Amino acid sequence: MNQSIEQPNFEPRIVAFLCNWCSYAGADNAGIARMESPANVLPIRVMCSGRVSPEMVLRAFRSGADGVLVLGCHIGDCHYISGNHRTAKRMPLVRNLLGYIGINPDRLRLDWVSSAEAPKFAHVTKEFVETVRALGPIAEEIAE
Amino acid sequence: MSTIEEIRAHVADKLQELDGVVGLRRTTEGTAPYLFHAGDDLSQLVLSPRYPLSTTVSMLQKRFPEARFGIVARGCDSRALVEMAKRNQIDPERLYLLGVACTAEEAEECHCADPAPDLEQWPQAELIGAPVPGAPPNPMVAEYDDMSLEERRVFWKHQFRKCIKCYGCRNICPECFCESCALEDPAWVEPGVLAPPFPTFHLIRAMHMAGRCVACRQCELVCPAHIPLTVLYDLMRRDVGKLLNYTPGADIAAEPPLSLTLE
Repeated sequence: MNQSIEQPNFEPRIVAFLCNWCSYAGADNAGIARMESPANVLPIRVMCSGRVSPEMVLRAFRSGADGVLVLGCHIGDCHYISGNHRTAKRMPLVRNLLGYIGINPDRLRLDWVSSAEAPKFAHVTKEFVETVRALGPIAEEIAE
Repeated sequence: MSTIEEIRAHVADKLQELDGVVGLRRTTEGTAPYLFHAGDDLSQLVLSPRYPLSTTVSMLQKRFPEARFGIVARGCDSRALVEMAKRNQIDPERLYLLGVACTAEEAEECHCADPAPDLEQWPQAELIGAPVPGAPPNPMVAEYDDMSLEERRVFWKHQFRKCIKCYGCRNICPECFCESCALEDPAWVEPGVLAPPFPTFHLIRAMHMAGRCVACRQCELVCPAHIPLTVLYDLMRRDVGKLLNYTPGADIAAEPPLSLTLE
């Protein structure tokens, strides 16, 4: 199962959907402040975390992402007032669904990062990369 | 008088005031949905095989915006209509619902928890037959939590590999009425690949069913590859109940938690 232990070279690929107004700015600020965050993360800017449909998450996995990170504004801070409420309802269901067909739900993580939380961005991405590293490559779970 | 005779008598009665009643008609050519009018041969009205007549009602109501139709509806038809009403697919004010309580055997066959229409959801409704208690859930759903990730993966990969992508599950579904379908969008489901790539097609549908699926089991019934789709949808139904406190089809006044309402 867990071949990552025998494969020290496994570097997880993470697709991160970042909300334009909070998390993308947070990532930007982390860079400006020269905070170290892992290079495994491929950021995709979306106008709102509510834009992230289950199809997008599934396609990321299908395209070889070992983990998918969805970062949005804190509840109450959404630029579109209730966009992240949808994310908050939807993502736990996607996680459960992944579990039901045998993909480890920990490969999908939802978190809230505001534009002022550059250290949190660095922390969340580092932590998530380590979580996914321990889970191993996605190919083992979705290979035909 | 047997249940079916009672229904026929009721329909004949109601046809005096309604513009038509949607039911199943059996002729020598087979059984199909049919709009019965006053004077039609009601001995052709039957109850099986189960078919989602709610879709037919929706189509007719849109085509005839003034007409008042009736429907011979089972519990699942009623639940489907409830969810359709919330999404502007039918108008409950122009609908008369003649409810039919399923028998205990039918409920057992469908693992149906709610085998009779809830009359309180409808302005005009009556029930024929005595409602039986709900049947226990699908044993596989009940024991699902004990399966390991690996077991689940092996099970579903085997199932999904059988899929011939006929879209039967979507086409029969009373809750699938979007004008553009994510399952036909090459961005999400690669065209020309059989079986549809794991884990896209079926998971997209399962996610779209969350908060909508009324457990009518038509998708599983029509699937030519015999994929046990309702196991997945039942699990999603359970989660939507647990996490979002919502049961699709139960209450016409409750707002669907995952749908887009523009305030």
